[in-house]
Amino acid sequence: MAPPPIRVRKLSKVFKVHEREEGLLPTLRSLFARRFTEIAAVKDVDFDLAEGEIVGFLGPNGAGKTTTLKMLSGLLFPTHGEATVLGHIPWKRDRELLQAITLVMGNRSQLIWDIPAADSMRVLQEIFQLPEDRYRRSLDNLTELLELEPLLHKPVRNLSLGERMKVEFAAALIHEPRVLFLDEPTIGLDVTMQSRIRRFVAEYNQRTGATILLTSHYMDDVVALCKRVIVIHHGQLLFDGALTGLAERMAPYKLIRVSFAADVPVAHLEQYGEPIQREDGRVTLRVDRRLAPDRTALLVRDFGEKVVDLTLEDPPIEEVIEGVFARAEVLA
Amino acid sequence: MRLQRIYAAMFVASFQQAAQYRVQAVLWLLMAVVRPVVFLAAWSAAANAQGGSIGGYTVGDFAAYYVCLTLVSQLTMAWDAYDFEWEVRQGRLAPKLLRPLHPVHYTVVENIVYKVTTLPALLPALVLIAWTFQAHFQTQPWQLVVFVPSVVAAAALRFVFGWFIASFAFWTTRIHAIMHLYDRVVFLLAGQVAPLSLLPAPLALLSYALPFGYMLWAPAEILRGGMSFEQAMLTLGAQLVWLVLSWLAYVVVWRLGLRQFSAVGA
Repeated sequence: MAPPPIRVRKLSKVFKVHEREEGLLPTLRSLFARRFTEIAAVKDVDFDLAEGEIVGFLGPNGAGKTTTLKMLSGLLFPTHGEATVLGHIPWKRDRELLQAITLVMGNRSQLIWDIPAADSMRVLQEIFQLPEDRYRRSLDNLTELLELEPLLHKPVRNLSLGERMKVEFAAALIHEPRVLFLDEPTIGLDVTMQSRIRRFVAEYNQRTGATILLTSHYMDDVVALCKRVIVIHHGQLLFDGALTGLAERMAPYKLIRVSFAADVPVAHLEQYGEPIQREDGRVTLRVDRRLAPDRTALLVRDFGEKVVDLTLEDPPIEEVIEGVFARAEVLA
Repeated sequence: MRLQRIYAAMFVASFQQAAQYRVQAVLWLLMAVVRPVVFLAAWSAAANAQGGSIGGYTVGDFAAYYVCLTLVSQLTMAWDAYDFEWEVRQGRLAPKLLRPLHPVHYTVVENIVYKVTTLPALLPALVLIAWTFQAHFQTQPWQLVVFVPSVVAAAALRFVFGWFIASFAFWTTRIHAIMHLYDRVVFLLAGQVAPLSLLPAPLALLSYALPFGYMLWAPAEILRGGMSFEQAMLTLGAQLVWLVLSWLAYVVVWRLGLRQFSAVGA
């Protein structure tokens, strides 16, 4: 069996940070004598990604997500641990690997600002050694998926943020990479553009079977794209599994949302669950995950025809994640 | 073949970019001319006060030297360390490292494009200075021939040395301080203040031993016609030795630096 496209074992990164002073002499002096403090950004992280998988990589700011992505794309050397991407050790930066991966960082630019993107693309075509027909096909696909046609021939500096991001995406994918590292790809974009980018990532994945590791602060991105999530906090892996499983494991409660035909006093509902929201005859009750089915059945039995609508749901993923981080914070 | 095609594509992009900043290019050029003219004026005044020559240099020799020096200075200019620091700090290095092409190649092209686009404007300015100060060139045909490899070696040396210093940005992120020190040293020891033979003896010795004189003074003095054949060959040899040493130093520092790179802001 072929090895997974991404394989990570005990990957760790410790940053040595020193307080720097300004000026000529301190700089020269600091070349010879410095005081360091060590910050462990990533600690013994393990995971695999299978071919064609889209995995959400979640964690609060400073959790170590970007550091991990940078190691996997070869920008950073790890302090210890191993990783292979498409069979290569990423930080050796083999040409063969660099031709098959990409890292997209939201709000970061790789295009030349003063000239139209189409001209930057030509440079990329040569750097990635794309034959004309393959380059054409790739650019046509990207142009269609991202609606780039009017944007390619304007100088990049004249594009809006959202437009630029689309063109940046195209530049990052012109060589049809098989592994994509997407770091906050939708940051700062409006809702329409966010969903456009999401749709694009999904389509790209379906069309090419690429393996994708994605970080995002927008849970919509994760919910729309990822069946599996990896949660990291303070550099350590907290959870790796199905997105649905995350709620099951990390949120010990469910939500019953029920609408009544007539007004029902909240006090009458407390025996079924903790009322956390009430709005126009619609009440949300929080119940222990294990008791949820019984309580739901009781509610229907007791109120009968007064119940107009009823759903049993997992709490919103944002809440689950927040809960996970809050608890990890307490434990840390 | 692969590099040729990449360079061709990058030349097109780089020319388009350069074409957008014509005013800036003219201003840079003006700065390149002003400094040597100031020194030329000072040395001319001093030479005139001393009866027409100092240390074997007449006013016309000084003029020829500074005209040659300005041309060499422009042809060998390398500003990569400043740009590189900015790229490291702004996180613009990361996308380049992700491509299967060494980041040095982008700057080779930018460097050549800048020189090609500014040279047509510089040459008339130099002719004007040469005429105003009545420059006296003693150049012989063989010196014109030797000037070509000498100025290419000088440009390569400045370029590689600039990258050697730039690579320290992997550790320090800021390298302006080091760059300023380097600029001052070049100013003093590369022949900008005076032709090296006019420096006080210890400084002159130092400047023949260090690489800086081979970045500016050497090709300028060859072009002016101020060196014998033996001197020119020796100088060319020294240029090549320093080029090889700088290259090796650069490769080592770059590799160590990459291991150390923390991809800040990227």
